[in-house]
Amino acid sequence: MSNNPYIPMPVQIAKIIDEVDTHDIKTFRFAFLNKEDEKNFKYMPGQFAELSIYGKGESPIGIASSPTQQGFVEFTVQRAGTVVPGLVTSALHDMSEGGEIGIRGPMGNSWPIEFLEKKNIVVVGGGFAFTTLRSLINYMLHKDNRSRFGEITVIYGARTPGLLLYKDELAAWETRDDIKSVITVDKGDDNWKGRQGFVPAVCKEVAPSPKNTVAVICGPPIMIKFTLPVFFDLGFSKENILTSLEMRMKCGIGKCGRCNVGSKYVCNDGPVFSLAELEELPRDF
Amino acid sequence: MLKKTAIENISQLAAVLMEKGTLLAPVKEVSCHNFAEISDPQKVDLKFYNTLMSPKSAFFPHREDFVKYKVGKPLSEAEHTILNLKPAFLFGVRPCDVKSFEIMDIHFNAAGIIDPYWRARREATTIFGYAYDINQPVDSADFYNTLGIYAADPEGSDIFMVKKDKELLLKSITPKGEKLLAELSALEKASSGDEKYYEDYIKKGKDYKTRFTCVDSEVIAKKIESIFDNTDFWTKMSAACLSCGICTFSCPNCYCFDICDDTLFGKGTRSRVWDACMFTDFTLEASGHNPRTQVYQRLRQKVSHKYSYHVRKYGVISCVGCGRCTRQCPVNIDIYSIIEAALKA
Repeated sequence: MSNNPYIPMPVQIAKIIDEVDTHDIKTFRFAFLNKEDEKNFKYMPGQFAELSIYGKGESPIGIASSPTQQGFVEFTVQRAGTVVPGLVTSALHDMSEGGEIGIRGPMGNSWPIEFLEKKNIVVVGGGFAFTTLRSLINYMLHKDNRSRFGEITVIYGARTPGLLLYKDELAAWETRDDIKSVITVDKGDDNWKGRQGFVPAVCKEVAPSPKNTVAVICGPPIMIKFTLPVFFDLGFSKENILTSLEMRMKCGIGKCGRCNVGSKYVCNDGPVFSLAELEELPRDF
Repeated sequence: MLKKTAIENISQLAAVLMEKGTLLAPVKEVSCHNFAEISDPQKVDLKFYNTLMSPKSAFFPHREDFVKYKVGKPLSEAEHTILNLKPAFLFGVRPCDVKSFEIMDIHFNAAGIIDPYWRARREATTIFGYAYDINQPVDSADFYNTLGIYAADPEGSDIFMVKKDKELLLKSITPKGEKLLAELSALEKASSGDEKYYEDYIKKGKDYKTRFTCVDSEVIAKKIESIFDNTDFWTKMSAACLSCGICTFSCPNCYCFDICDDTLFGKGTRSRVWDACMFTDFTLEASGHNPRTQVYQRLRQKVSHKYSYHVRKYGVISCVGCGRCTRQCPVNIDIYSIIEAALKA
């Protein structure tokens, strides 16, 4: 973060990956234009940053790359605009490699790595809400880190095969023996040879043991609603189920008051909370 | 150090302060007084009860420009606001409003990431607190006693001022105030009679009563938490609310803001502007989800934030009982009555 937390650091779009067949979700790889900024941008999986385009505004987006990847930072961004026009995300989607934008961050807490160490990790993701989970998985899979964690299980689902993010990485995880990866789609197509079924049902089938295990769950509200009971039935405690909250944000540094829920600012005290912590908050999000 | 001046000569003091820096003081507007940057020392007018808008804008202006830029140009060409401010004097602030700065300081100037704009303005400013006139009736909306603040409370001011008939007594409170007061040679030396008058006035300020309810911050915080799901209570309290947001804009302790980009003919400014949790789209997300679509949810948020969440996060209630939100509410919603009702709910 620069000296003035409201002033963005310049970054250049080094690479754009069109992630899905609906073409409304792209991964942007940014390279810092100032070496000093790159050095200062120290992040952990689960944190986010404000993507900033002068003339449009700013959007808080989870960091999709892992800090073990050097020289760039990645964000997977959906073009918003079904209800409220997404000025920043639309402008970003219309940009090309080589374009320049601003970035403020890193912001928020992260997936609690120390808490996760020496434990088995079950990562459950649905649809587009897989970005900071991908960061976490790649962090844990890095050769310097893998031994710090127990078994890693990933259960990831999307509505259709074309909507799965990070397809190359999903394929690579299938071939590794230090991660159990279960990929599912709600409805397959003619080419889909994999699993079909909703994420909650697949979780029930996989039935991870709660013993020394933490579940990290992100997805659309409907997925969360039906997935949580599965984990409760399996015997997971609320302290051992983690998720990441979304609220409308502006400043990202706990000042503007917008993402306030109870005594917490989601941008600063979150976005990562355990289910036990969420239960302490008023139902106002 | 205690000094004095005739109130009719206040423009002379104003002129001296203007030479030293920026002077912000109450001026008469059409039907009220407000703090304004003074360009004509004759405009400083101390014949006011309290200003319509709070003096928070001295440190947290309605609009603060962060950066000016040309659309599509590299970020390195953008011009950032320079924060090296010249000294400023905030003149004639009522004790409850002085207290509000201390509460805002926790949020902007102490906890977590420091807000550079608030800090720069705050550090550049000397505060002249001004006791309420205890010989005039108290406004029925005021309830600063409830928050432990009194009409002639010098705490938080650098220099504290008390009206003595047609004179103004100025007492230094902090070393910063002491240094400045010593420099103000246009002021007369106070007599021992003035000293006694000042001391007596401070004491009598405690007997100048506003509305009062015994509010312990822990008790009210817990109570507000416990009635979060009492939708009937919040619906009743917010029944008349128009979501106009004047309560938050006039509040010395409301700090919610938006960050906006304004562009015209390829030139743009990014600034922060006041925003309000009372507005319907305050929490509207890009997905269309909005956790606070109902008026009762938003009023509940405002009251809970001040009297519960802020206590939990920072240890103090985020209200000084200045009465502005009550005086200015077009439908007579009174936060004091809400707190009273909440304690009984």
